[in-house]
Amino acid sequence: MAAVSATCLRFQPLFSQLKKSSQAAAGLKPVALGWAKNTGFPSLKASRFRVSCAAKPETVDKVIEIVRKQLALTPETELTNESKFAALGADSLDTVEIVMALEEEFDINVEEENSQNITTVREAADMIDKLVQEKAGGGS
Amino acid sequence: MATATAQALRVMKVSGNSRNVEEARARVFDFFKLACRSLPAVMDIYNLDDVVTKSQLRSAISSQIRKNSHITNAKVIDMLLFKGMEELGNIVEHHKQRHHIIGQYVLGKDGTLHDSSIKDPGTSDFLKNFYSGNYF
Repeated sequence: MAAVSATCLRFQPLFSQLKKSSQAAAGLKPVALGWAKNTGFPSLKASRFRVSCAAKPETVDKVIEIVRKQLALTPETELTNESKFAALGADSLDTVEIVMALEEEFDINVEEENSQNITTVREAADMIDKLVQEKAGGGS
Repeated sequence: MATATAQALRVMKVSGNSRNVEEARARVFDFFKLACRSLPAVMDIYNLDDVVTKSQLRSAISSQIRKNSHITNAKVIDMLLFKGMEELGNIVEHHKQRHHIIGQYVLGKDGTLHDSSIKDPGTSDFLKNFYSGNYF
């Protein structure tokens, strides 16, 4: 659990920067502009693992929680953005099951070709965010 | 929603002639995805919301698939998939009843809910084998 709390602490400076930049860029899409600006911030360089620009931390946390429950991992096992499912002891059926659990959790539909490429936590979170955004964009 | 998944099941042909194990493996995953996507309809039809969660049903399905994971003959896998599709079709089209679903997919071996996957270290090997079958 110590690894998880460190994650939360590290994300605080990212969020405050995002709020400032989104207030500054009124009218433009805050998500795209804010994340594009973040690449230069020293706080990002200081953090231990590079968070991909497209994945939101709460998405990553939910993905990690689902993976942990699905593979029945102990709380001490380190689960980071880069963890590969295969390295955690998941066979191909486990990976499909994880994708299905994510589909249910986020209420999205993963297409065939997308599901083949998901091998790490980060890829799953990226794809989820993209699909959720597409869904929200299409619905509005 | 139930009719939509039933139609999807009719359209989707998962069983067929696989040339090798890899193709059969892809069909197995397609079948598993189809089954998982029809889970909301199943929970709705049989009113299973207070007995079991979707994720427990998912792991029940995957453990049944895993029981046959050692098979290397593609035609055998195709036959098992055909039976699986038949079962899934029966369930989705409400040809079964609630107690069938609960007995077959929710309850574990000793009649309790699926959660108890922890092995009891106290039982002897003889008894474990005896409970599971006649030949050991």
